[in-house]
Amino acid sequence: MIRSGTVDIAFWMFSAGSVVAAWLVFRTDSMVRAAYWLLASFAGVGALMVLLNARFLGLVLVLMMAGEMTIMAVFMVMFMMNPAGLNPMTMVHQHRTAKIAGVFAFAGLALVGLVADFPDRPADARRDPTSDLGRELLGDSMLVFETAGVTLLATMIGAIAIASKRGRYGDAEQGSAPPALEEKPPEPAGMEH
Amino acid sequence: MRWSSPLGAVVLVAGVLSAGAYVVAVLDVALGRLTAAGHLRLRHALRQPLDETALLLLTRPSRTERPDAQAWALAPALLGAMAAAAVATVPLGRGIAVADVADGIVLFGAAMAMVMVAVYLHGWSANSPMPLLGGYRFIALALSYEMPLALVLIAAALPAESLSVGAIVASQHDLWNVVRQPLGLPLYLIAGAGLAFWGPLDTADGPDLAGGTTAEVSGPSRVAWELARRFVLVAVAVMGAAVFLGGWQGPMLPGPAWMALKTLVLLAGLVWMAHRVARVRLERFVVVAWTVLIPLALVDVFVSGAIAL
Amino acid sequence: MGLRRALARLAAAAEAPVFPVIGAGGRSVAGEIALLGGVRVVDSPRAANVLLVVGGITPGLLAPLLQVHDQLPTPRATVWWPGEPVEHQDLRTVLGEVVVARPGDGDTLRGVFAELVGGGRLSDPPALPDDEPAEWRGVGPYGQGGTGMTGGVPYGRPLAKRSPDPDGLELDQLPLRIGPMFPPLPPGLILDIALQGDVIREVAVGDNPFLGHPDGPAPAGLDTALFLEAARRPQPVATIELARARHHLRWAAGTLRLHGLASESLRVLRLARALRPEHALEVETLARRLRGRRSLSWATRGVGVVTPAQVGFGPVARAAGVAVDARLDDPAYDGIGFSPVVNDGGDARARLRQRLAEAAQALDLANRAGARVRQPGPALEGPRGPLSAGEALPSAALVDLLPRLLVGQEWGDAMTTVASLDLDLEEAAAGARAGAPA
Repeated sequence: MIRSGTVDIAFWMFSAGSVVAAWLVFRTDSMVRAAYWLLASFAGVGALMVLLNARFLGLVLVLMMAGEMTIMAVFMVMFMMNPAGLNPMTMVHQHRTAKIAGVFAFAGLALVGLVADFPDRPADARRDPTSDLGRELLGDSMLVFETAGVTLLATMIGAIAIASKRGRYGDAEQGSAPPALEEKPPEPAGMEH
Repeated sequence: MRWSSPLGAVVLVAGVLSAGAYVVAVLDVALGRLTAAGHLRLRHALRQPLDETALLLLTRPSRTERPDAQAWALAPALLGAMAAAAVATVPLGRGIAVADVADGIVLFGAAMAMVMVAVYLHGWSANSPMPLLGGYRFIALALSYEMPLALVLIAAALPAESLSVGAIVASQHDLWNVVRQPLGLPLYLIAGAGLAFWGPLDTADGPDLAGGTTAEVSGPSRVAWELARRFVLVAVAVMGAAVFLGGWQGPMLPGPAWMALKTLVLLAGLVWMAHRVARVRLERFVVVAWTVLIPLALVDVFVSGAIAL
Repeated sequence: MGLRRALARLAAAAEAPVFPVIGAGGRSVAGEIALLGGVRVVDSPRAANVLLVVGGITPGLLAPLLQVHDQLPTPRATVWWPGEPVEHQDLRTVLGEVVVARPGDGDTLRGVFAELVGGGRLSDPPALPDDEPAEWRGVGPYGQGGTGMTGGVPYGRPLAKRSPDPDGLELDQLPLRIGPMFPPLPPGLILDIALQGDVIREVAVGDNPFLGHPDGPAPAGLDTALFLEAARRPQPVATIELARARHHLRWAAGTLRLHGLASESLRVLRLARALRPEHALEVETLARRLRGRRSLSWATRGVGVVTPAQVGFGPVARAAGVAVDARLDDPAYDGIGFSPVVNDGGDARARLRQRLAEAAQALDLANRAGARVRQPGPALEGPRGPLSAGEALPSAALVDLLPRLLVGQEWGDAMTTVASLDLDLEEAAAGARAGAPA
């Protein structure tokens, strides 16, 4: 077993690392770096969860976030008019709103931290959290998770239907385009003149 | 030596990865020459990778115009580290494992998901169009095979009733998963080739992109990137041998020898595939991945689950 | 120091990584480079230590050549196979240290590489100053070049514009110029492309670098030189057909390399180099084997469809099901059982099958023609289409086709399409000089 002193040091290292990485998200001048600093922050949180014996959840967090942050980076780059996202750009805007929202969020969370009565029930170290999690997902919490799961699945299917080759505006390979606002004589789709 | 001690871990993981990468390079040269000229010069195949590495180490790394230099240097390190993390979870013999943790297969999945980050970062940070396109392509490909990869690994974990790689190996004592779940290994190898952008799935650095993610690197940076990529391939083969081919179990020979043999078979298969199969057309592969590979992987999970019950 | 010497000893035994640049008249020897012993052709200048310039450098090729030269990492060396006669710019006046060698001379190339690695030869100095191409003109706290998040002209480069993509999203467009030395494209082809992700939205063909030269390219340096010669002088049918088979095989080798079958490609090049009429069976087997290669069909099926209305000549039209062939009207081919091979589909797969089948057929014809000699007069069917005096050569029409074919394709498909058309920019330039298209 790893000594508890090591765990403590690791806990503080990962906690501090997560906070610093999260701060760097806003201090960097590049979209891709911002996305990956956020990933680093999440990976730190994942490591904390592993240290807290929620190994499965911690690893799954890293697994999911790796894909999601990459997708986020690609979409940011493609939506911004910044070739390849390598030209510098600021990651902070709407300063006043951001400051107010930041202060309120911090105050709220701090309040919860100070006031809330956190449960203090040491769990049996021999119990396997992963199998406990599985039993929970397919037991008492089944309705909640299945509802969320089916909703997400329906959303995904909807998104795929919209983005598919035979999308809203006809076959993508034929160069589909949204219909024009004015009435125009119908043109065969995809013909190039 | 205790393999879970820091020194033991470094020796074991680095040893497996370097030996594997060298074997991949030798097989690559040998099979290439066999295809091209119809004969084989073993001495040449054994020396060629070393000579080439020496040349690259003597060559200066190149600079592009205003790259993200830190990210560019980080990417190969991240890729290699993820391969190392993946190998660490696999027992290479009875009791020879760095970290046969209870959620080993999930750790492997998380490490392989981070591969996507490393490859995109490497493509993007060079500030050059061809590597960037390579990065984009890798994401399109990765999102398509991550699902089948995760599903076949879950299916392999079902008979073991555990997410630990050691338990999965033990569960194949009587019957290897490659027989029990015939869909598993082929799907896993397709995804594995994609992870290392290897063979027919090398869309991220194919010749149609003039090298893609490798187009702008030279000298030692090239060595680092190519090595890291081969490390991933080795990690895939090691995990494949453990999860589908019964791991270190086998008659007569000691465990590590069986493990080496099985890994070698998978690596040879992957290298052979690279010389034999033309690079996939990205668009078609994505369609096939979503409409054929994922349903097949689901069938694999359902059937394995039903049998395990 | 000891480590360095040990590394140098190992490195000297490595295959010399060579980045070939094909200039005017260079294509006829280009197929030999990959087969040189101890030499490896690489896809990117960053992976090479030796820059091999083949043929003459026209003014249009000079500036890109200097850029490519400076992209090679040090230690680097330049070897020039000028061809005969040296009628273009002398490379030695622009690049300091150039080793001139006879075309096809691999020993000199290896020697230069060994010297370079052993330390007996200094690395080439850069040909261009290492400056920023545009001055930094950004303003704002992050140098973003404007007052908002983006905007302005950072590094002198305009920001990408946005435009709708096929799914109706507004996404950024990356403007990009590739060529004339981009390995997947034929030498000399320049494309100005606007990309969304890896989908091509706009294409314009850049100026043909072979066109600007006062003398124009010498037809003697074209890879179809033998055919042009045969259009003017009597030539044995067997010679013509053997050259046709060799041409198609070399093209097939390039296609295989593009599709990731590099070792297979070397094998085909080897066959092409030593090709004789007796190899008919081997070529037949090769054609059948590649036809049966599922992955290759998969990568080329439905890509770059050319209709007979777009191109009405040569293998491209025959791959679309039209039985046009100048050999049908050529008395030299009467009575040896010639009838054109056709394929249908008109896509890259059909063109691959078409050219392989034509290579096999050509060897068959070469065997049957015996000592028969073709007399000049009627149009001669070259490997890309009919060649007749005073008319545009086939490549010119094929190059014009590119923008319409490539728009909307993914990058890989676009490269497959360009390769499948078997373009020669030099031939296009020569054709443009020879006369207006009919």
